Amino acid sequence: MKILSIDTSCDETSVAVTSDLRVLSHIEYSQILMHKKWGGVVPVIAKRAHQENIDFVVNTAIEKSKIDKRELDAIAVTIGPGLAIALEVGIQKAKDMANELGIPLIPINHMEGHLYSAFVQNRNGNPKMDFDFPYLGVLISGGHTELVVLKKHLSYEILGSTRDDAAGEALDKAARIIGFGYPGGPVIERLASQVNNADKYKFPQPMIGSKNLEFSFSGLKTSFLYKVKSMDNKEIKKELCYLASSFQEAIFQTIMKKTKQAIVKTGIKKVLIGGGVSVNLRLRSIMRKMVSEKEGQIFFPSFKYLNFDNAAMIGIVAYIKIKNDFKCGSLKSIDRVPRLSLLQSIK
Amino acid sequence: MTRIIELNKNNLNRVIEITTNTLKQGGLVVYPSDTVYGLLVDSTNYDAVEKLIRFKNRPFGKAISIFVHDISSFSRYLCITSDKIDLLMNILPGPFTIVANSKHKVQKSLESEKNTLGLRLPKYAPVIELIRKLGKPTTATSANLGGRKPHYSIQSLMKEMPKSKKILIDLIVDAGKLPRNKPSTVIDISGQKVEILRKGDMKVSKINSFISNSEFETQKIGNFIISSNYLKNPDKAISIILIGDLGTGKTEMTRGIAKYFGIDKIISPTFVVYYEYEIPISPRASSLNPSKFEKYDNKTGNNKFLHSRNINNFIHADLFNIEEDEEFEHLGLTSYLKPGNVLVVEWGEKLGSLIKTIQKETVCFVVEITHQGEKSREITIQKLNKLK
Repeated sequence: MKILSIDTSCDETSVAVTSDLRVLSHIEYSQILMHKKWGGVVPVIAKRAHQENIDFVVNTAIEKSKIDKRELDAIAVTIGPGLAIALEVGIQKAKDMANELGIPLIPINHMEGHLYSAFVQNRNGNPKMDFDFPYLGVLISGGHTELVVLKKHLSYEILGSTRDDAAGEALDKAARIIGFGYPGGPVIERLASQVNNADKYKFPQPMIGSKNLEFSFSGLKTSFLYKVKSMDNKEIKKELCYLASSFQEAIFQTIMKKTKQAIVKTGIKKVLIGGGVSVNLRLRSIMRKMVSEKEGQIFFPSFKYLNFDNAAMIGIVAYIKIKNDFKCGSLKSIDRVPRLSLLQSIK
Repeated sequence: MTRIIELNKNNLNRVIEITTNTLKQGGLVVYPSDTVYGLLVDSTNYDAVEKLIRFKNRPFGKAISIFVHDISSFSRYLCITSDKIDLLMNILPGPFTIVANSKHKVQKSLESEKNTLGLRLPKYAPVIELIRKLGKPTTATSANLGGRKPHYSIQSLMKEMPKSKKILIDLIVDAGKLPRNKPSTVIDISGQKVEILRKGDMKVSKINSFISNSEFETQKIGNFIISSNYLKNPDKAISIILIGDLGTGKTEMTRGIAKYFGIDKIISPTFVVYYEYEIPISPRASSLNPSKFEKYDNKTGNNKFLHSRNINNFIHADLFNIEEDEEFEHLGLTSYLKPGNVLVVEWGEKLGSLIKTIQKETVCFVVEITHQGEKSREITIQKLNKLK
């Protein structure tokens, strides 16, 4: 089944052509124009809401997939969560295409894509992985931190999520507090690795005492800010790596411990990790160790680009929806839902 | 004619000598790096840089970063303070491109339209030694044509290249297949370019001041602001501009405001810039301590509140990541300035010129939150005067 998928929820205008679980082509606007995010022309936010690129990206994706657009069986599009004005761009294009080609339009929740990103295959059908429910999903990105149970396809139960800041956002802000620009995640990871991820400052691991599986990173951010404020410039310079490392540990240890609690609580030992922060090697190693101690299995996005926002994972979810008898409503009823929750995922 | 030489363990010095000579004569060199194969020309040679730009089909005004060989180069080529340099020493050398305002010591066409320049200090001896020998930076752009993927081997690069392009390359240094490291992460330390509002820009009246000792109290103050103003102003949108440092509780205040409408799923919108919520037609019960919060009841509401989409929106914006005024044009925030809508803006001091529109179109409050210790906050609420 061949699907063209569009994701404009965030940084990138991204379009993919997929065939079942295989990705035939995947194109991002920034790839086409600059390879590096720093282009010096289009500011980040402008890019998010950019209408001019969508046609270009769609055409390139079709061309690279080496199929004719009349072979497409459906169009898939992210309807949320994300920035309203950016989501609209993708939804409008998807509607136009579905109309033009007379094929169904499948609305997708962006976070479902991240949950399924371990199952996305390349053009040759690798890696081959059978679905073996139930899974415990851990979503960690700039906008989300969530623990989810997948009992079967497309059925989600949220065990806990962040009450304020997302993990990726907290890392970005910590980097800003110690003087680095955006993006902060890779900088923090690098600084931390230089002191072997030592936890010298033992920042509070938020909500770790509580029995529930909620996250909160806002208070941690404040206590980090106060620690840094209490130091003079010389001391900050000297302690920079330890500060970054201790902060990162507080976040990752919290996520690890909450995931561990979730494994104990649900008895589910197969863990799916998704979202931008899952590219962090320290997080991967902490989570791997914990899951192996629990004699479970852990799955990360199958290719590096799948950690980040991308349309390929959206196409894969659309395929699974169609396979599971998704009935589509009228095109008119499909609209953006900027704060879409996994629970509102349309079956 | 393109010359190809192999780089192996034993011939680094010779390769560097040949490459240096080619670069000095304005040549274009394909050279390995810690990430992908790069295109190197002398960054101070006008003709060489032009040749590179032609080769890459790069639109004019799109920046190209440069390779340097030591930390002190950062202050030589960028406007950057010494504390920033100390910070950078912790992550460099490494796969990062550092962007800041240029000191214009290399060709202008390598800079962005905003006069910023990107520097790369890779952890890769063949590049470091080359730049040291050459005595000036080279360009550090990936060796591919505009719009194509970067290359990790010379074979894949040559396969893509049309003849007309190949003849522009003077030298190829082949180090075999490079490990598939991603292109570098770009870190912008050029600082905020948005216009920051100053006190004098806003004429205010009616100052209310509170002390909050907990997140809950901050929420209650937020709830107070909206409950005492929403129904009184059916003809205009309400905007609440929040000004305060990281960690002062701006999101908590927003949460208190949202609770008035029964919206209880507020999370930080920093990453996406703003989230849009529907103001429910029939207000839901708020899950947390419902008795302590004022609630909006639509029965006393006004039909004027119903609009084209038949929905009123609660917009929670966070301008933390906004870096340039131009970005506002693409955000569409002004389309929400309709009666019945509520707009809460964190980091509202970055609103820049947009403040005038907001002041004109909405009933506008400026809420400033300042730290009075780790738990305690001073909160001042001011109403912006109407623009005449």
